[in-house]
Amino acid sequence: MKIVNLILVLCIGGFLIYGTLDMPRWGDPDSPASKHVSPRYIQKTVEETATPNMVTSILADYRGYDTLGETTVIFTAGMACILLLRNSIRKNRND
Amino acid sequence: MIDFIIERYNFWIYVILMMIGLYAMITKRNLVKKVIGMNIFQTSIILFFISLASKRGGTLPIMKQAHGLENFPVDPSAYINPVPHVLMLTAIVVMVATLGVALAILILIYRKYGTLEEDEILKRMQ
Amino acid sequence: MIILFDLIILIFVVICAVTAITVKDLLSAVMILGAYSFFMCLLWTEMGAVDVAFTEASVSAGIGTILFIAAIIKTTRRSKD
Repeated sequence: MKIVNLILVLCIGGFLIYGTLDMPRWGDPDSPASKHVSPRYIQKTVEETATPNMVTSILADYRGYDTLGETTVIFTAGMACILLLRNSIRKNRND
Repeated sequence: MIDFIIERYNFWIYVILMMIGLYAMITKRNLVKKVIGMNIFQTSIILFFISLASKRGGTLPIMKQAHGLENFPVDPSAYINPVPHVLMLTAIVVMVATLGVALAILILIYRKYGTLEEDEILKRMQ
Repeated sequence: MIILFDLIILIFVVICAVTAITVKDLLSAVMILGAYSFFMCLLWTEMGAVDVAFTEASVSAGIGTILFIAAIIKTTRRSKD
């Protein structure tokens, strides 16, 4: 069974390595990922948000709704942990 | 040939890390080992996205000129692409939230069945 | 982006990952996973992602390791594979 799993994993890895042959070069300034949206953020961040750190200005200003959704995820995970472990906490307190 | 390898060797190492995590997730019987494999898998994906953001000749995504120079022209190729950094900050926090819920479920499984091995749990469920 | 430094840290990361899934003792595996997270943090600092690097160092290598250790103390540290 381990051999089957190993062959499966190697097949997936081979396909992914075949996919990287068409990727842009590592650190290419003209790659499509760094040509489309990010130049506008880099050029306008001090003018529009008055924050020198671009990561902070995008995280809290341009994409604030994204951070709001992240907070929802953390809240849901915390509530799930409390609901799962609630019985054991109460049992420990009674002992 | 050497240039071709130097430009892409780190993508291949990320694929190797992802294969290690996937193998641990589908082969190991212990549930903690499965969670460790999931952690390695997620970290390799985050590493891939961060390496897409790097630029040859670019510095950290923090402005060199401070306030008072708002109309100063900025060259976008002098700074690293900041958008993948923001997305991966969110992904790291979601990764730890997932880890917390997984470990809570794992503690409950141990309390009910007395073991963390997958085959013994399947045997005791019958 | 320094190629030699990058390659050395990537090799360390792969060694840590392989060790973390092969060692039998679960507490040792979790400690090696913490070392893996710190090597990953070093790699991201080298690529220029400082915000991601300190988030990883505080959240994943700190809180993640603490959660793992708490779960292992509550359960068992023996493992068959």
